[in-house]
Amino acid sequence: MVDHVTVTVADSHAGVIDEVAAQLRQAGMDVEQVLGTLGVITGSIDDALIAAIEALPGVGAVEQQASFQIPPPDAELQ
Amino acid sequence: MSTVPAERVPETTGRSVVVFSDALRGDRDAIATALRSLADITSVVGTADDPGGALDPDAAAAADAIAFDALGVAVVARDPSTLAAMVQFAAAPGGEILAVEPERVMHAIAVERPGVAARFADDNAFTWGLRATGVDASSATGRGIRVAVLDTGLDLEHPDFAGRSVTARSFVTGAPARDGHGHGTHVTGTACGSARPAVGRRYGVAAEAEIFTGKVLDDGGAGTDASILAGIDWAITNGCRVVSMSLGADIRQVSTAYETVGRRALAANVLIVAAAGNNASRARGNLGFVGVPANSPSVMAVAAVDADLAIADFSAASNPVEGGQIDIAAPGVDVYSSWPMPRRTNTISGTSMATPHVAGIAALWAQATGAGAQALWDALVQAAQGLDLPASDVGAGLVRAPG
Repeated sequence: MVDHVTVTVADSHAGVIDEVAAQLRQAGMDVEQVLGTLGVITGSIDDALIAAIEALPGVGAVEQQASFQIPPPDAELQ
Repeated sequence: MSTVPAERVPETTGRSVVVFSDALRGDRDAIATALRSLADITSVVGTADDPGGALDPDAAAAADAIAFDALGVAVVARDPSTLAAMVQFAAAPGGEILAVEPERVMHAIAVERPGVAARFADDNAFTWGLRATGVDASSATGRGIRVAVLDTGLDLEHPDFAGRSVTARSFVTGAPARDGHGHGTHVTGTACGSARPAVGRRYGVAAEAEIFTGKVLDDGGAGTDASILAGIDWAITNGCRVVSMSLGADIRQVSTAYETVGRRALAANVLIVAAAGNNASRARGNLGFVGVPANSPSVMAVAAVDADLAIADFSAASNPVEGGQIDIAAPGVDVYSSWPMPRRTNTISGTSMATPHVAGIAALWAQATGAGAQALWDALVQAAQGLDLPASDVGAGLVRAPG
């Protein structure tokens, strides 16, 4: 199963985020965004490969993406 | 026999409550016999008549007496003083009847404060929220400060934003930054709306701030971490000093991504404020909890109060995880602000509505003091007006604008 994930790059690798992204691609992640200012990379990956990318140098955390949903426009409580 | 306190005469129904001795409790027949031994009582219905222990209200209304067998109590359709005399006359053997009391009228304990006007109200010039937070009396306008609102976008044709500096960008695939929902236009109006809208009272806080509207939720109100994080990245890159996020997911656990992002944003001189969440239902005893991303220690979590400065029923309380506490409170009930045309304005409630009050006021403080992001956080907390409410509900208290 493919998970949408957010990878938080460790502070130590904030300056070399593109290298971290390249490693993630090589490990099987479909990288969608490299957010250099934040030090965060988003994309999708087969859940069987998550443990492998968690162990990569420069990877601080790998989390499944959360979804957000606000109520419909006619709701009194927003 | 019990006596009634002189200072407060309770309402009574004219019926009597008869209390039987423990020996009769649970004994349907003995209770019925004891009741019928009293002069003219013939029809007795009881909870034991129903397999579920419930009473048929129509049968109960027609009966002379209603026996709550399991309680050893009966309600008798006779005047209490008459009945008490009967009990004494009958001198029931074995002390079966312990007491006869008037049946009282009970009322629900109301949560609203009866007959007292709310402390604040919308008037011709300002919303109650701008009055309560001191924006009405502040000389700061947010001029020169960039404020990012990450939401469903903005109605870019709305007349109240005409002539304003607006930079719009969509992070939702295939959707323009135009607000097709309404939520984004409402929260942007509160944070940055005009000091002189063409119609109606003022509702906007930082009326001269530069608006950066990032669409991170689609027109159905749905979004993902990917679009929200992209929006934050864009806001920081563009030099926004404040990021307002009226969104959240009901997840207790802190997200490493948002916590790290909040920390890096502060280091880059950007304050992120986020809605605590609407997952409480306080009247029913559910205090809720602060969710992602507001539960990150590095993100300012905003609760909602009403025009009486009471906590809103829906406003989530602190979550025991580190950083899961409420940091500050702001007006979030019956908040009037802009809405996509042709409707123009709308009045709605939520911690979503409280959050842009804090974001706009943060922009006022940024302009007034030149403070960096962490100092801005400290200024907001220190200036907050203490409320007579638990810190777990309102944090430092009600957000206040600089003078």
